[in-house]
Amino acid sequence: MKNFLLLKIRALGLAVARLFASDLTDVRTGEKIGRALLLPWRGKIHVIGLEEAVKVAFVPQTRLTFWKQEIGFSAHPVPDFPHEPRP
Amino acid sequence: MSRVLNAVLTHVPPGEIARSVAWWSHVAPADSLLIVHGGPEAEFGAIQSANKVHVPAARLRTTDHPRERQSYTEAYAAVSEWMCGRDFSHVYFAEFDHVPLVADLNERLLGRLAAERADMLCHGLRRVDDTGWHHYLYHCQDPRFHRHWETASVREDRRVVLSMLGTGAFWTRQAFDAVARGREPFPMYHEIYLPTLAHHLGYRVRGMADGEHWVSNLGDFRGRIRKARNEGAWTIHPVKSLAGLRWGGG
Repeated sequence: MKNFLLLKIRALGLAVARLFASDLTDVRTGEKIGRALLLPWRGKIHVIGLEEAVKVAFVPQTRLTFWKQEIGFSAHPVPDFPHEPRP
Repeated sequence: MSRVLNAVLTHVPPGEIARSVAWWSHVAPADSLLIVHGGPEAEFGAIQSANKVHVPAARLRTTDHPRERQSYTEAYAAVSEWMCGRDFSHVYFAEFDHVPLVADLNERLLGRLAAERADMLCHGLRRVDDTGWHHYLYHCQDPRFHRHWETASVREDRRVVLSMLGTGAFWTRQAFDAVARGREPFPMYHEIYLPTLAHHLGYRVRGMADGEHWVSNLGDFRGRIRKARNEGAWTIHPVKSLAGLRWGGG
């Protein structure tokens, strides 16, 4: 019963978080790769509600700016590795 | 000549297993179906199937599968051992609630495997290294995790980690046996461990591609079999009980 209640509270919290969430765009392809609420808290960024496998990195800049940098998101391509026989 | 073994992993009571066996009889002859039993040993004798093996592995019987790092390693090893001396060329390994919807499933899987030039096909395949994927983050807090693939891989890029939905996967016999021979150096969740091991052993792992939205880790699709079949799905997951369902109906 306690677990059931906790799951319901978590689901409700996630539903509220998703109302305020942002679309995440792949910095390489420009495609939408997920949706999450990003919260800076105690020196970290908390990512809430994300359901996809997403990488995070500072985005390379075409214009040098000292006052601002961007953190962007990207996803790996679909796995398509060749068969590689053992040596 | 290809011959597919359909290995169905189950822990449900013998009556429910009998329904699975009857359902699978529309897909494969009895000698190509193996019941892989992970339930109570006392129930093993009551299972009505031509072929069956019991797997008494504690890490198969988890309740919170990702957190307890559920393992199929012992189940794969049992299937591989059972196949010794038998002429199967491929293995379709499915959980009991991953249900086939087409009679020619094995032929379709063989065709897809050939078209992809793959050694293994699975659902929900994705590359997850250096991402926020929950299962990956849970594993890479252990420094042994990436270190293991550094030493175990034949690949140039040894950081690659793959994840799949572990409910149903189609293998060449060679790849299946090679993965079944592997021994987990420390506990890893099978949805991460199996595709990553296959990849680092040099095998080509690809996604099933079709009907992916009818294979989910959540819910119960019991009442939606007809719709899934009409939309062209080959299989469906999860269907927790086949009671009252009939092949071709739904």
